[in-house]
Order: sequence, then C-alpha cells, then structure tokens
Amino acid sequence: MFAYIIRRVLATIPVMAVVALFVFSLLYIAPGDPAAVIAGDQATPADVERIRESLGLDRPYLVRFGEWVWNILNGDMGVSIFTNLPVTTMIKQRIEPTLSLMVLTLILAVSIAVPMGVVAAWKHGTWIDRCVMGFAVLGFSVPVFVVGYVLAYIFALELDWLPVQGYTAFKEGFFPWLENLVLPAIALGGVYIALIARITRATMLEVLQQDYIRTARAKGVGQRSILFLHALKNAAVPIVTVIGIGMALLIGGAVVTESVFAIPGLGRLTVDAILRRDYPVIQGVVLLFSFVYVLVNLLIDVLYTLFDPRIRY
Amino acid sequence: MDRRTFIKVGAGLGFAGHLGLSAPAYSQGAAARTLKFVPQANLANFDPIWGTQYVVRNAAALVWDTLFGFDEHLVSKPQMAEGASVSADGLTWTIKLRAGLKFHDGSTVHAKDVVASLTRWSARDSMGQMIKAIQQELVAVDDLTVRWVLKRPYPKMLMALGKNSTPMAFIMPERIAKTDPFKQIDEYIGSGPMRFVKDEWVPGAKAVFAKFADYKPRSEPSSWLSGGKHIMVDRIEWIVMPDPATASAALQNGEVDWWENPITDLVPQLRRNRNVRVDIADPLGNIGTFRMNHLTTPFNSVKARQAVLAALSQEDYMRALVGDDNALWKPLPGFFTPGTPLYTEEGGDLLKGPRNMDLAKRLLAESGYAGTPVTCVVAQDQPITKAQGDVTADLLKRIGFNVDYVATDWGTTGQRRAMKNPVGQGGWSMFHSWHAGADCINPAVYIACRANGDAAWFGWPNIPTVEAAVTEWFEAPNLDAEKTAIRNLNRAGMENVTYAPTGFFLQYQAWRANISGVVKGPLPFFWGVSKT
Repeated sequence: MFAYIIRRVLATIPVMAVVALFVFSLLYIAPGDPAAVIAGDQATPADVERIRESLGLDRPYLVRFGEWVWNILNGDMGVSIFTNLPVTTMIKQRIEPTLSLMVLTLILAVSIAVPMGVVAAWKHGTWIDRCVMGFAVLGFSVPVFVVGYVLAYIFALELDWLPVQGYTAFKEGFFPWLENLVLPAIALGGVYIALIARITRATMLEVLQQDYIRTARAKGVGQRSILFLHALKNAAVPIVTVIGIGMALLIGGAVVTESVFAIPGLGRLTVDAILRRDYPVIQGVVLLFSFVYVLVNLLIDVLYTLFDPRIRY
Repeated sequence: MDRRTFIKVGAGLGFAGHLGLSAPAYSQGAAARTLKFVPQANLANFDPIWGTQYVVRNAAALVWDTLFGFDEHLVSKPQMAEGASVSADGLTWTIKLRAGLKFHDGSTVHAKDVVASLTRWSARDSMGQMIKAIQQELVAVDDLTVRWVLKRPYPKMLMALGKNSTPMAFIMPERIAKTDPFKQIDEYIGSGPMRFVKDEWVPGAKAVFAKFADYKPRSEPSSWLSGGKHIMVDRIEWIVMPDPATASAALQNGEVDWWENPITDLVPQLRRNRNVRVDIADPLGNIGTFRMNHLTTPFNSVKARQAVLAALSQEDYMRALVGDDNALWKPLPGFFTPGTPLYTEEGGDLLKGPRNMDLAKRLLAESGYAGTPVTCVVAQDQPITKAQGDVTADLLKRIGFNVDYVATDWGTTGQRRAMKNPVGQGGWSMFHSWHAGADCINPAVYIACRANGDAAWFGWPNIPTVEAAVTEWFEAPNLDAEKTAIRNLNRAGMENVTYAPTGFFLQYQAWRANISGVVKGPLPFFWGVSKT
C-alpha cells in the first residue's frame, strides 16, 4: 500500500507538467492584454506598449515558459502582475476561506445526502422517495447563485440570523467562523447533496436486492442494522467515488459562491486574475487546484481499501 | 441590539470563552470608529502613477497628498504647498512647501521628494508630459522650495498639479518616487491623512487604512481635494464586493456603511430602507462614448461617421444604462461635461431633435459604403459597455451597416482596440467606453477629445481643426478666450465626428443613516465623514 501511495504521488509530477504546459500555452494564445488593463482607459498605445515591455510580455513564448518552469521548480510561483505580491502570498491569504467552505460543504453534504439516499432506497416508490428525488432534481437544476440570493434574503435580510457576506478566520472563534459559512455551504452544497443522494439511492437499491440482505432479514436483523451496517458499507465504493469526482463541482461552485457571499477565497482570486489576465496568478491557482484534485482522487483510492477489503494495490 | 447580536449573546452564555462569542472583534466604540466602505472596483494594485484606474486614484487620495488640489468649483488650491508664484515671463514657477509635513514613515517632506515625485508623474500624465517637453530644469532650491523652469510658458501649471484626473501628482518620498514610472512601487508611504496597512491588504477582498496621527490638515474648510482633510474615524476598511446584490444586502443589514456606486436597479430597494440614504455620487457624472476607427473602412469616411450621429438616439443609450430614472441622465450634443465652465453645444446640431434615419442612410450611401463588415467590439463584463454595445448594434443595422458584433471582455477589448490592422485581420471598427465627467472639463485632461492622428486615443482621429482649437485653448489668456477655443473645438469635433457621445449620465452612492458628512464629488472624499 505504501509503495502504491508513493507511486501515485510520483505520478502527479507528469500530470502537473502537462497541466503546466497546457495552462501556460492556453494563456499565451488567449486574447487579452494585462498591459492594456494596467494602463487604464486613458492610456495611449505607446503607454500600453511600454508597460508590456516592462512586464516582459514582449518576450518569446519559449523564453517565458522556460523561465516560469525554472522558477516553479525552485518553489517560486512568480509575482502578480497587478498587485506586485508573490503568488504564494496571495494564495496563502485566500486558501483558508476556500478550504473552510469546501470542508464544511463536504461535511454538510455527506451528512445530509447519504441518509437521504439510504432512506429513499429503503422507502422506494413511496412519497418519501419521490420527495428526495424531487429535491435532487431541484438541487441539480437551481443555480448556486440563485440559492445563495434566496438564502441571504431569508436568513440575513428578513430574519437577521446570519450575515450576508464576508469571512471570519477560524482563529477568531468557531461560531463567528461558522456564522459566515453556513449560508454559502448550504448554497454550494445543494448540487453536491443532490448528486450524492441520487448515487446513494441507486447503489442502495441494487445492494438491497442482494441475497445476503434477504438472508439478514430472514435472520431477524433490525432494519437500521441492515441499512447502515450491511447495505451501506457495500454500497460505499461508488458513493465515495462520486464524492471524489464531485470535488471538481465544489471547486467550480466555490467561484460563484465566493462571489455571491463576498468570501475572499481562491475562487474569486481566480476569476479576478482571469478577467485581468494576471498570468502568474492564474497559472499558480490552476496548478494548485490540479494538485488538490489529484490528491483527492488518491485519497479516494486509498479509502476503497477500507470499504472493500478485496481491493488491494 | 439587533436580533443577531441577541442570539450571539444568548449563545455566548453557554459557550463563552473558547468558542469566541463573548469576545467580539470590535467593541461598540471601536465599531463606530471603523468605516466600512464598498469601493467601485477591486484595489488590485496601489501605485497611482503606474496604475491609472479610478479605484487606485481614490484610495491613493487617502494615503498621498498633492501640492495643490481641486475644490468643488474646479479651482486648484494650495494643499501641501504654502503657495506658488510664477515669474513675469511665465517661465519660472516657484512652489513653497508647508513646513512640518511628515511622511508615514516619520521622515519630513522635503523639496527633493517633490522633485522626484513630479519627475515620475510627468513621465505618465498627459499634462505632465507637456510640461516635461518644455522643461528647462526642475530642482529643489532648499528643503521647502521647488523651482520649475520652462522653455515656454505653461499657464495651466496649477491645474496640472491639482487636477483629480488620473494620474494625479501625488508626492512620495524620494527613494520611492525614483522608481521607473513604468514599474510598480512596493512601498506605500505617503503624507496623506491615512496610512495604508499593507499587512492587512488582501487584493480583491480588502484594503485597510489607519488614521495618520502626524497629519497636518490645512486650516481652511475642506472642499473636495483642497482644505483641511480632517479624518473622523480611526480606520477605514475597503471591502470589495463583486456582486451588487450582495453589496446592497450588506448595506441594508448594516454590515457595511457606505457603497460607492449602487447599480440603478437596486436603488429603489435601498430607498425603501429607512436606515439607508441615497444620493448622486458625482455631480460631474460620466459621458458615454463609442469610438469609431478613423483608419479603416467604413469609418475612415466622415460621411459614414456623420451617418451614425444623424441616427443616434442618446435617449436609447441612456435608458439602456440608467432605466427610467430621468434624474440620472441628460442629452449631450457636445464633448464636454455639462455644468462646467467650458461646456458648449456649438456644432452639436446633428445630435439634437428627432433622429433622422433618412439622412443617415443618405450620408451612408454618399460615403461609398459597400457592405464591408463593421466590427463592433463590445466588452460584456462591463455593464456600461454591454448596454451601449447592444444599442449600437441595433442602430447600425437599421442604418444599413453589416454588423459583426464581437462579444468579448474588457481585457480583450483593451488589447484589440490598440491594433491598427484592417478589419478581418484582427482590427476593429468601433468599441464602447465612458469617461468620468471630471476628465472631460478641458482638453488638458481629456485625451479622448484630441485628434492628433497617431498620438490620439484609440481610433486615431486626425482632424487639424480640432488640434488648432486645442492649441488655442492652451494659449488662451482668460476664461472668455478659453470658451471661444472650446466652442471651436466642439464644432470641429462634431462636424468631423472625433467620436460619438452617447449621453451624460450620473450614478448614485448610498450610505447608512448613521454616517454623516458624505459629499458629492468625482471621488469619495473620506475627510469629514463620521459614524455614530
């Protein structure tokens, strides 16, 4: 197992190299010019050109790519064209809010969606099942920003229970931290809950028809034990897989959620950087997201062995 | 005590201590001394000479001071300067600094700092470049005296030093001001009324300013950028909110105190809230524009440009921008800001009265237009350019142009508009923008009204009669002569269609009822603003 993990971690290197090449090339050929954005609306063409030169954007592709890769290999992600701050500093400033949002959403989603899916499978064909599936369709269909606005309107503006926006660092206290994240996590979690609930239901339906479940029932095992000990554990592998794949959903959703709730996270940093063509920041953040995604999938692979002892690497 | 505070207190009884509820970040008094402000855009950089965005200028006005500053009558008044004098031949300007001014690092402001700062500024600013071109020498005579010797008189010197258009002539310590004007500074030390708290700066999210204890405000009452800049709070937090609906909700909920530019759609909702005040932000407003490329077909023909003006309905543009609120817009048959001394409608007849589609079609036919595509570049991520672009596309089609509508973003527009290639090879026919009214009060600060060919703003109009009028204005000995020159400029610009003005529009600002001292102006002025 240990050797497998080492191999997988090493395998991230070529993956990251491909991502790096892809991102750099894509930005190189994409239209847009950070120098024009920096120069402002009143700038003359000569001003724009001078800024482009000062940023080194007039240099050939290979020179710029080689320099960037060399710096990355030396642990230097570069300096933001706009803020003049190191990209690593900007990422450090933003990583806690995004990580907090994703972890809370994950906890919320799994703790709601899995029981929902299990109950829907258990009560297959009843109104409970239809309600759960109706919610799942709704969760998939309603955009995150709409859910966000509705939640903010009800719980912040009308009821005045929670703040509309912002983020409080965890070190300021658990409740202040939680207070700012509850609404964003619910808004972001909607799609995720729908996805996991549907997969849980489908997998549980299949498992509940297996012979060993019938045997357990015949032996008089209680319904709760059948559902959560016998059936759910055997249905866990596809559910865990979906949770892992869904991380991409969370990363994408965080961009919108952070904008709606004014959370200073990596999602907003990415959007701002793209709109301004802040190449070093875009490259740094995309590399980070790719790395996280690869690691999450590795974690999922490792978790398989816990749920299904037959799986060996 | 609001409901949320009550719940917190209740919860705090059970969870006091380690969970943090019993130790709010600010006490009631501290909260009243912190002003939370939602700026118009993200403060992505903080060098007001290198980055000329308005948001940078607005923040910089807190941290850096200027020798002179515009008051509400657009008169340049001494600020860091004790005063200035000019020799009888108009060639030598002597500027005396006020004694005892300090930078935020504790050092004293000296004339050498002014020399370095003006040198850097004059490399980037259009007025500064004009002065630099006729500069004999710029020297520090002693610690408090600067002498600027010119080869030719420059009567607009005080305007250049006190204007609020970007880049403003901010004064920095010499060591910082010696930075290449095309490279960013990384120390934000000024002598203004607030210090920039760099450690708390999260670009894209938050910028913090703390009161500078050693600031020496002038004794005169404050008026825009002049007079005593008395700061009434200890701390100002700029909170960047990309989503207007969130900013609106945060203001109504009391999470922020002042929102610089609420979108028109949300204003009725804000007005209904008894805890929120709404008023015009900047009486000098904005001028909507679209620029046609004078180098390529079809707009290299003046007839084609006139055809557009003949059919252009400014009301359509303004409705698309501000909706049904008639207080927010007015027609603009000219290039200069309404309500300012040089405003004129001379030559603007083509934009007045009922729109004449027949005339437009006739002019287009006379231009020899043969159906070549008109590449209309429209930035979709800026509501103002998007709204104008949609109106333009419809207008052009009705006149008979073959429109190639290019939906893109502002970053791409910025790059594409600099290209002089023909349409079809990466070039463009027109793009949309807008100018702050404060930047359209005279030709010195108004690059878009110039028509000096390759040196002109994008679209590169080459209209000698416009440039002759600009020269006439620069050399004008008094206001009457200036007005005559501007009438000539407006007439020449309208006849030859330097660009198409789409109307004059205003924007709102909104703040909590417990905030007082908010004034109307071309930028948010924080001095005199208090919170209870």
